[in-house]
Amino acid sequence: MKQMHKKNSLTRELTSTMQYKLREQNILKFAGRTIRHSRGHHTMLFVFVFVSVFFCLNFFTPVVNAEMSPKEMLQKADEARGNMEGIQWNISMDSLENGTEQHRKLKVIARGYDSFIDTLEPANVKGQKLLMQDRNMWFSKPDLSKPVPISPRQKLMGGASNGDIAATNYADDYKIVHTSEGAVKDEPCIVMELQAVDNKATYDKIKYWVSKERLVGLQAEFYTVSGKMFKTAVFEYKNTVMINEKPREFISKMTITNAIMKNDVTTIHYSKPILKKVSNAVFNLNIMTK
Amino acid sequence: MKQSFLFFFSFMAVLLWWPPFAGADDVGEVKPTESQTFKAGDAGYANQSLLDKFQGSLFADFRVLTYGVIQEPNNTTQNPNNNFLQIPHYTADVELRPDLRFDSKYLELSAKPRAKLELREWEDGSRSGETQWKDDWYVNEWLVRLNAMNKVYVSYGRENLQWGPSFIFSPSNPFFRDNGRSNPYTEVLGMEFGRLVFIPSSAWTMSFIVNTDEGRNMLVWSEPFEKTYALKVDYMGGENYASVIISEKDYKKTLGYFAGWTVSDAVTLYSEGSFTQGSQALYPKKDLSILGAPMQKVHEDDSEIEPIILLGGSYTLDGGGTLTLEYVYNGPGYSKEETETYYKLRRYGALAFNLGNILPSPVGPLVGAWGQQTLIETFYPGLKMLQNNYAMLQYTQTNILNKIDLTLRWTENCDDSSFQVLTIVSYALGNHMELFTSGILNTGGEETEYGSLIKYQVMFGIKFTL
Repeated sequence: MKQMHKKNSLTRELTSTMQYKLREQNILKFAGRTIRHSRGHHTMLFVFVFVSVFFCLNFFTPVVNAEMSPKEMLQKADEARGNMEGIQWNISMDSLENGTEQHRKLKVIARGYDSFIDTLEPANVKGQKLLMQDRNMWFSKPDLSKPVPISPRQKLMGGASNGDIAATNYADDYKIVHTSEGAVKDEPCIVMELQAVDNKATYDKIKYWVSKERLVGLQAEFYTVSGKMFKTAVFEYKNTVMINEKPREFISKMTITNAIMKNDVTTIHYSKPILKKVSNAVFNLNIMTK
Repeated sequence: MKQSFLFFFSFMAVLLWWPPFAGADDVGEVKPTESQTFKAGDAGYANQSLLDKFQGSLFADFRVLTYGVIQEPNNTTQNPNNNFLQIPHYTADVELRPDLRFDSKYLELSAKPRAKLELREWEDGSRSGETQWKDDWYVNEWLVRLNAMNKVYVSYGRENLQWGPSFIFSPSNPFFRDNGRSNPYTEVLGMEFGRLVFIPSSAWTMSFIVNTDEGRNMLVWSEPFEKTYALKVDYMGGENYASVIISEKDYKKTLGYFAGWTVSDAVTLYSEGSFTQGSQALYPKKDLSILGAPMQKVHEDDSEIEPIILLGGSYTLDGGGTLTLEYVYNGPGYSKEETETYYKLRRYGALAFNLGNILPSPVGPLVGAWGQQTLIETFYPGLKMLQNNYAMLQYTQTNILNKIDLTLRWTENCDDSSFQVLTIVSYALGNHMELFTSGILNTGGEETEYGSLIKYQVMFGIKFTL
């Protein structure tokens, strides 16, 4: 069933892309000439397989992950959540906690482990800024004379931590202690149990569902040191970014639910991801305006 | 001048209601269900008109604060009968605080004009029963900054230039005595700085800073302003940071530093300090004068290094609240003997100040002037903290029930056991309004650091943000 599903989706994508590319580059003509002049059915089969593999390797991101290790899959999943050379996006956060609603609109600039978050709405928190340089974090707002250093544990809003809206780097921050098969809404996943490599990670333990086909994280459970699950998250990837002329799914929504108070929900919408080179000055306290 | 400010503030308020400027950074409604494809650099910037680019570079905030303050001056030798400092018992204030910024690729301009209207009322001393209206129109901060290749930044302007992780005060900062942490609703007044900032990499930054003018931060009774030059080098690691500041003022050099370490998800440690040869502060000196020991710069030419070292740490609880603990050793502060002489001198000063109004001329005015000068020097001897050992414990929590921010701080002078309790609470009323209150309670005898000026102060108000 799984193979059929894989084959069907692969065939669909292969067909549409092949037709487009082959028409443009006259490969069909070339292949036809090659086939006509070749000797025997083996040569034809070889060319057909070669061309198919060629297009698969060059025009699909991610490729079929049969040979990828869980670590590589996790790295790919991190790419879809902002762990890139430089990105800017807008984030809309809606939180329902203890029956109280709260809304924030943020502009986020991220590069690797560094992030700069500027609050845009609502008016009474506009201008609040959060600067993260790896694990060094500072908070600033218009009424404060100088930025205040804060620890990674301090909450951003609702159930979201600061690390939830910045780039993730699970591949380096966690080790995979166990994998198993699973599914999220009938989409086959590899379920990774991630353990923080040291006490500096935001979460001690994460159970992470990564889609085998799309190589994106679909669902996560977050645990404390004592093994108690305290929140869950579901991810959507309706944004697409182009990397090296290849389309790549990118995070569009993260829904965080409190594991105990299930009515406490924080929804994060990620929009307008812009890939760009981010200068060092963006993450520099000496330049940051208050 | 006032009319110009009035017109400007009105114009700002209207401008901020006007949609194109109300959220210059507003990118519109998020439509998360739409699949969106973006290419590298696809901000549409290249296709924007000049007007669109200009509008996209403009940022503005407008805040209005209205608040009242109730405070009880302490009748001490520093402020006898409240006749020396004349601290009002009640004030009612309205402040207009627009912040403007133009930020393009190579040029950044910003300005923070302010208008403050204040009604003051006294209940004791020579001004008992008196009320006074006071208005102040000024630009607290402004800045012109040029950006060369995102590596070199040159700026000049009036700034509240603060740095460092500490709460009690910032010993590494050679420019400001007040780091603004005691009351976020009262702005620190800006001074003029020229800066050259070089960012060669993500880990290193070098700044050359010149404090060219005292700007708005004028201390009425301080010595004439002297320029201060500083070289600041910053290092940023993965989970730690450190900065070194070498400054020079009036040929006296000071070495400052601050550093921090994110030990874990919940724990941070930090330190801040400075080292100076000798001290530029005034110290009570015993002499044989009938009027007692005058204040003098007795350690100005000392070769000994006077350190100020602050150690601090914070722990964030699972629930989000943060406990912070700081300890300061203030080397230039008064020893026990110097403190006793200091308070003795203050008693003489207060006596002379009071006698100035009683004794006949020409003795009375002379004695009164000596008393006033002595009280000026004891009020501001040039030290950031009076004695040697201080401790602070603070609890902060933000976003309680998505509405409340809370700060509780206790600061103690460990040498004279006087302490101050500070509370700051804010409550969000919708998206534009915030109620706030802060309270200060000082304990200790009349001849203690925290007991010298006011017994308590309560501030309560509303902040409205457009």
